[in-house]
Amino acid sequence: MAQTSYSTNVGDGNKYSGNIIDKVSVSVNNTFNNPDEDAQILRWLSPLEPRNRHQDVRTNRFEGVGDWLLETGEFREWRGGEDGAEKAILFCSGNPGVGKTYLR
Amino acid sequence: MIDSLCDQEGEENVAVAAFYCDFLSQQEQTVNNIVGAILKQLVGRGEIAQSLRKAFQKAKKEVGGRGPLFTDLMGMLRTAIVSLPKVFICIDALDEFLPKCLPELLESLKDIARESPSTRIFLTGRPHVREDVERYFAKAVVIPISPNTDDIRNYVGMRLGRDPEPEAMTRDLRADIVRVILEKISDMYVELLHICTPLVMYTYQRFRVDSSLFLST
Repeated sequence: MAQTSYSTNVGDGNKYSGNIIDKVSVSVNNTFNNPDEDAQILRWLSPLEPRNRHQDVRTNRFEGVGDWLLETGEFREWRGGEDGAEKAILFCSGNPGVGKTYLR
Repeated sequence: MIDSLCDQEGEENVAVAAFYCDFLSQQEQTVNNIVGAILKQLVGRGEIAQSLRKAFQKAKKEVGGRGPLFTDLMGMLRTAIVSLPKVFICIDALDEFLPKCLPELLESLKDIARESPSTRIFLTGRPHVREDVERYFAKAVVIPISPNTDDIRNYVGMRLGRDPEPEAMTRDLRADIVRVILEKISDMYVELLHICTPLVMYTYQRFRVDSSLFLST
């Protein structure tokens, strides 16, 4: 008899504390941005991590390569963006290995 | 390119999101995942918007955690772009993206440009994807990239200077390598020159093979 009531209490206790934890975590989420959740959200948006590849490219890039492009009128006009959606695109085309990826 | 855009504009005035297409990752590099990857770079800069947080929390509860739908991603991307001063999106190597999905990717970019006209989109790819790009962006600015002699000379000098076997190098050999590369180079340099390894140089020195052999790889 005593044993039965003990186990019932434990069950209730778990349920109860579980609820409290839920409430606490909800209120935490509402007040602060939980960094774990931020990471989960970013991962939910996409599993891909282009940052890693960007870091490789940065590391292997040679200073000065492709600087000429930044001086062209086409690049400046495009960057300025005066023409809106009409000229939203700058497309650099070239054969494999000419260094498109490594343009600075 | 990405770093130049960041540096020139000052980081607080500009948001740059980049994506590198890769043959070897075609299966994972779906339009959804690319749009998501661009979005995550834009929202990861600061505080995540409440609307996005709520969408995530809702999706997490459904069917054991649902991935975002394409239309949801595009909507969230629109919201993110509007909240930022100026957005640059860079996508490298369009030719390495799964060709059958390329129209869908370009269409999404077109939607972004139409809805947020200040967004600037930078694309690179082999010449054959130019037609695809122009089908969606008739007025795209196209700049052909070809090797530039000064870039090559500087780059070769740097690579040779960093060779871990400097004793294999002589002044004549160095001059020969630079001269031959400049002569033979047609359309390849940066990636090609990554193979200027000690092994290639030893081979070159010992057998005096025609350097076009390794230039043609």
